[in-house]
Amino acid sequence: MIRRLATVALASGLALTACKKKDETAPPALAMPAKRVVGLVTDVGGRGDQSFNDSALRGLELWAAGARFEGGGYRPSSADELKASLTPELASRQPPIVPLGVAPLVVQSKAQEDYEPNLELLVEQGAELTVGVGFMLENAVEAVARRNPKAKFLLIDSPVLDASGKPICLPNVRTVVFREEEGSFLVGALAGLVSKRRVGFVGGMEIPLIKKFEAGFRAGVASTNPAAAEKLLATYTGSFDNVAAGKQVGQDLMAKGVDVVFQAAGSDGLGVIQAVKEARAEGKDVYVIGVDSDQAHLAPGAVLTSMVKRVDLAVYEAVRDLKAGTLAGGDVARGLKEDGVGLAVVRLDFPGKLEALAKLEALRQRVVSGELHVPSNAAELAAFKAQP
Amino acid sequence: MTDVTLRARLVRPFQTALPSVLSVALALAVCFLAIVASQGSLWVAARAYAEMAWGGFGDLPKLFAGADASALTRPWGETASKTALLTLTGLSVAVAFSVGLFNIGAQGQMMVGALSAAVLGGKLALPWPLHVAVCLAGAALAGAAYAEIAAALKLERGVHEVISTIMLNWIAVSLVENWLVVGPLRAQASGDNSISGTDEILASAQLPRLLGETSRLHAGILVAAALAVAVWYWLARTRYGFESRAVGLGPEAARAAGIPVAARVYQAMALSGALAGVAGAVLVMGTEHKFPATLGAPYGFDGIAISLIGQNHPLGVLASAALFGALRAGGTRMQLLGVHKSFPELIQGLALLFVAARLVWETLLSRFRREPAASATVEVPRA
Repeated sequence: MIRRLATVALASGLALTACKKKDETAPPALAMPAKRVVGLVTDVGGRGDQSFNDSALRGLELWAAGARFEGGGYRPSSADELKASLTPELASRQPPIVPLGVAPLVVQSKAQEDYEPNLELLVEQGAELTVGVGFMLENAVEAVARRNPKAKFLLIDSPVLDASGKPICLPNVRTVVFREEEGSFLVGALAGLVSKRRVGFVGGMEIPLIKKFEAGFRAGVASTNPAAAEKLLATYTGSFDNVAAGKQVGQDLMAKGVDVVFQAAGSDGLGVIQAVKEARAEGKDVYVIGVDSDQAHLAPGAVLTSMVKRVDLAVYEAVRDLKAGTLAGGDVARGLKEDGVGLAVVRLDFPGKLEALAKLEALRQRVVSGELHVPSNAAELAAFKAQP
Repeated sequence: MTDVTLRARLVRPFQTALPSVLSVALALAVCFLAIVASQGSLWVAARAYAEMAWGGFGDLPKLFAGADASALTRPWGETASKTALLTLTGLSVAVAFSVGLFNIGAQGQMMVGALSAAVLGGKLALPWPLHVAVCLAGAALAGAAYAEIAAALKLERGVHEVISTIMLNWIAVSLVENWLVVGPLRAQASGDNSISGTDEILASAQLPRLLGETSRLHAGILVAAALAVAVWYWLARTRYGFESRAVGLGPEAARAAGIPVAARVYQAMALSGALAGVAGAVLVMGTEHKFPATLGAPYGFDGIAISLIGQNHPLGVLASAALFGALRAGGTRMQLLGVHKSFPELIQGLALLFVAARLVWETLLSRFRREPAASATVEVPRA
């Protein structure tokens, strides 16, 4: 059976290679052989997750390649589309974000064990730079980078770690981690200013990465509203893919008097947003703060702001460095100063909004200048002294 | 006389396999049309199928263009690792079918097996071949024990195994993935770094790679193939296997004939769970080298499709696992042309649907046969 099908498949493949010349509708990947290829492997979240993977894809496809993926193929995007995806800070960045003329090649992963062959496949297809989106690809990026010393890699959210969990450096792998605590600090400060009763935090899995969000958030609340920081409620759902659990936790927090809640919980967070949206529909004065991408469109009127993690910018800049020939291995940490994290536009109105935003800007300046160090774990948080 | 027997022996397997072969061919054709419809181009669909073939069976064009042997060995490695897992879970389902049980719990049994292998491989220090054997045996025991819960519930309390195995799957997910792997057994990284899954297993517990470092082809495929032959021998050539099949065909008749029905059901369920447990161990010891954050694709559920497409015959399972292992390993390459990632699974799903509709095939085929088929081609699982 196998041999028969293999023969059929081979024969049809050969037959079709033979009629190649007659066909005019070759896919774009073939039509532009001169462009440098940049590959990207998503984690199991994949395209369309509204946050992490989509952010990386935006950096590669819309920004670096000037293309949009639609109906199973790429079409060139207009300058307006690119402009519409930039916040004011990004639009004023120098050098500006413009298409770099690379060809994107994206493979979505269906399971953990596919990360390694997928990375390998893109290298084999001639990708000069291959992006691994998410710390779950750490092992796979390490293995493939060691086997292909000439190819370059960008790993998001984790340094390369050895078997005992210590960071190591590979000459052809750039790794980018984000100082999520700094962005969380700012949304915490805003939550402290907006909240009238109690502030809440919902995390996904209880891992160091999410603990960074919590530590920064707590410090932020303490900076503007020490009383609220005392009573802050933090909960972990234990997963990143359980919308129902997120909704339940969100409802639970609101029942305990929380009126501003920050979620860093992947898909569980979508449930938190849903819970807050429904509570608002019942007339309660509650807000939610989104994470990773600007999530305002999910519940306009309920999402106060979002703690954006600029994975898109990290991907874009790696492609730019590749073109400039300056892409080297090593670890990069990106915080407020590097526009690695930040606040989405605050679209909602609340009493004292202008003063609140002025206060946030002042805090931001102090973090950027290095005057204020934001804690990233429980130990640092305990030593942190809030200065209003 | 001998001529007739010889002919029967040569022709029968083909007749048995024919509905499956036709189903798979039809599934491939329908999926091809679906790609044409979604991409709006015959050319893209054809190239996608060609990519799938190169990715599953070896990249011949690249080899002819002067690439080294890794153009063949790397695709073979991916196909073989998927084939090994699908074979083992397919066998698990087929063995349970033989006594008339529908084991939907291969996924959960695989999970406890994978966890056992990850723990034994990471915590024990043993020399190489022994360590591998201990991990495989531990995973088989864990999977068997987990399956016996469903068997006991069925035999002692009359709980339908479809219900109990589905529930046991969720218990395994909650216990293993949502608690142990993110809680007590989670690997620790330095500083604020996060790492997924359990600690890595020791090198002595890894299944050896057979074609060098560039290909992930590991000894798991040999384990799976050997077990497929062993299960075939057990079912077709031993008294226990015969009695198990008798139980599957009619428990009352079997009991009347003096066959210990309960004992055969316990044995078959233990074997079924052990095979699923070994599948988990092969995943951990072959490619992942730890229990990952989430345990792979749902191979346990795929096993149901693989078993049915393979006509619940151990060697049929091996063949259908090899085919779908290749299609799914190669199917990733269809994404290079913008084809959606789900199409390889669509082929498998369609093939299952067409096999399930085998009555249609048999009616069509019987018109072309001079003599009626000797027996039904598929043993229907009885619950």
